[in-house]
Amino acid sequence: MNTVNIVLCGLGGQGILFMTKILAEYALKKGIPVLGAETHGMAQRGGSVVSHLRLGEARSSLVPAGKAGFLIALDPWEAYRGLSFLAEGALLCVNSPDGDFPNDAVKTYMTTHGVKCFTADAGKIAGRMGTPLSTNLALLGFFSSLPDISPFSHEGLGETIGLVSPDRFREVNLKVFEAGFEEGKRL
Amino acid sequence: MKEEIFLGNGAIALGLLEAGCQLITSYPGTPSSEILPEIIRLKKLQGLNTYVEWSTNEKVALDNAFAAAITGKRACCCMKQVGLNVAADSLMSAAYLGTKGGFVIISADDPGPHSSQTEQDTRFMARIAKVPVLDPSDPGEAREMAKLAFEISEKFGIPVILRPAIRVCHARQSLKWGELKNNEAKALFEKNPQRWAATPRFRLILHRELNQKLRDIATLFEELSSVNFHDMKEGSQYPLGIICGGVPYAVVRDILSEERRDDIPVLKLGAPYPFPGALADQFMERCRKVLVLEETDTLIEYLLGNRVKVMGRLSGHVPQEGELVPEAIAKTINRALQECGTKPLDVPDTGDVGGLLKDISLPVRKPTLCPGCPHRASFFSIRKGRAKAIFTSDIGCYTLGLNLGSVDTCLDMGAAITMASGFYHAYKQDGVKQPIVATIGDSTFFHSGTAGLLNAVYNGARFVLVILDNQITAMTGMQPTPGLGIKADGSKGVAIPLERVVKGCGIEFLEVVDPYDLKAMSQALKRASAHTFDPAGGIAVVIARHPCVIAYRKKSIPNPVKPLVTDDCVSCGFCMERFECPALFRDEKVGHTMINEVLCSGCAVCVGVCPKGAIVIAGEDK
Repeated sequence: MNTVNIVLCGLGGQGILFMTKILAEYALKKGIPVLGAETHGMAQRGGSVVSHLRLGEARSSLVPAGKAGFLIALDPWEAYRGLSFLAEGALLCVNSPDGDFPNDAVKTYMTTHGVKCFTADAGKIAGRMGTPLSTNLALLGFFSSLPDISPFSHEGLGETIGLVSPDRFREVNLKVFEAGFEEGKRL
Repeated sequence: MKEEIFLGNGAIALGLLEAGCQLITSYPGTPSSEILPEIIRLKKLQGLNTYVEWSTNEKVALDNAFAAAITGKRACCCMKQVGLNVAADSLMSAAYLGTKGGFVIISADDPGPHSSQTEQDTRFMARIAKVPVLDPSDPGEAREMAKLAFEISEKFGIPVILRPAIRVCHARQSLKWGELKNNEAKALFEKNPQRWAATPRFRLILHRELNQKLRDIATLFEELSSVNFHDMKEGSQYPLGIICGGVPYAVVRDILSEERRDDIPVLKLGAPYPFPGALADQFMERCRKVLVLEETDTLIEYLLGNRVKVMGRLSGHVPQEGELVPEAIAKTINRALQECGTKPLDVPDTGDVGGLLKDISLPVRKPTLCPGCPHRASFFSIRKGRAKAIFTSDIGCYTLGLNLGSVDTCLDMGAAITMASGFYHAYKQDGVKQPIVATIGDSTFFHSGTAGLLNAVYNGARFVLVILDNQITAMTGMQPTPGLGIKADGSKGVAIPLERVVKGCGIEFLEVVDPYDLKAMSQALKRASAHTFDPAGGIAVVIARHPCVIAYRKKSIPNPVKPLVTDDCVSCGFCMERFECPALFRDEKVGHTMINEVLCSGCAVCVGVCPKGAIVIAGEDK
């Protein structure tokens, strides 16, 4: 298979690493080689956090500009910052609390480059479930409802969340993930 | 064989244990910090008897591991690149003395830099010390190189450096692994004072031996095709060839295979020093031009005998600073191809994105102390009470006190104290009574605070030293400190109270205070300051003790509350500027400052910060 390049971005503390872990473990279970890059240390403290994930035959851990098939952003400003990663025809999935992403110029840019953009208020979904800190799982659930997300699937990601969640969070994680999925289905 | 996604540092840990490494020491530092915790995880999983320790600093770590290695055991010490500066004294000497058992030094580089003071290149430290260095391109190779490093070290009796860069350490890769076994080698130190305690006369002999070892290893590196190899087709000549190592090699490989450019040969130097000069010369002979891509400096470029054909940093073709990210490498290769008159790469042009973003004012995301961080409370009080002071600080989370205007300097580990005494003497010479407040974390104080404090006391300097004791090494991922009495693997060690160390350094004025109590903290600082100006006084130390809010959430904030902002708020911005809690924000809809409930830790320190008393605790009368 061709390398599937995924970029996940947001702010420190939003749970980007956990989202990355779910996608990576999913790929591992499917027997796809996994390579990724994470942010640690000083850069983690409240700054922009970017996670790279490459599934397939890649040797280097960073997704090059213009090569990401998926960009998943937990913050709309970070989504803007991550635009240069997007490949032609990529899928962009953004947590947009105010629903104002993207602006017109970016809309035009995405149309030109065949980028499909989907937004949700993932924080609100997680908040409704009583766990505003699980915005990451709500957005991942939303992502899992979108078309053309191969090699990922809703069922497979749900299964992986069940496997990698610590015992005491498993139930609530899955609940929030499903709520995000339902939100996406309704669109 | 199970398959698991390893952090690069975990892959290194796996390689070390597969090599039968028996003793591993480390001082945490990004990007190296997770190697030791991964060793501990694997050791516990597999029931190994590996000895591990968080040492108090990198020199201590190196010396401990060196001693174990000269008993014939396999030993390793791990640190970040600037940590190797601290251990440089030991490294230079250990190179001369050599080793019996395998001795591997892991020094992780941080091109970028993402979390370091410098972008220095550990390979140059290897060159200065005259020890071999291996430069992995990905986690899997780092694991193999850890084993290779032990083999080389034992075969030639020399310390070997493994230099993974941040994109190796903090990459994740799926790797297969199997059972690990204890190495049964026993410690046997054979006395030989002429070697292990060599005087200068014997050092000359050792230097001669070291040079011979390096010549022998260079011969090995010429032929060591597992790490030093190229893909030239026999008899072909090429307009452009690329010499690279480390992470840039992985990027170059990806670009060339994706673009199907087998017309550009690549020489990979995973073992660049001692330099395999003949291999490099053969490669260069068959290329019209050669592009050198290496991180972070110019080791290979310097070591190439003839630079006439070379495009690199010295010729201005490769960026001199910053990480060689894939875009930068693609751009550099394209420029080189263009100069050679060869077809360029077909890389995506994402240049128009920059134009798009120009119209959006993207928020500046600077690193910030966490909500509830006790350091924030300390810095607020320090700034409020001692606004005219020079604030010397140090390496750790609390460097971010600069956001609160309470950090003026940050040089290296321990410099909060040594610079404070330096400032004192510089001003004192002019008869100026300059207030100085130094801040240093508990782990950093144990690392290299005491020597500076002893010196300052001995030489009569005057300043306030605040030890920010959050009882953990926080920035690097929550490693225990000697003050805690918990060892690297979670077992009980001997706690060394900061108070006792401070008193032992000759300090007369010492107060311990909880910085969450702003009033108590301010008063302690006032008394401390008075002591520094008292003719009979001296250096005053305040230990600001409150557990890290991330490491010990419940202990740090046992009863979280919900502070809120009332209409008394006049939007003066004081809290956001001086307290800088990420949970505080200006809500345009409400028209004044508000608190983000999701981010708020419930510490309620902000209640004491607002000059108008507009921050209150829900349900409590003002």
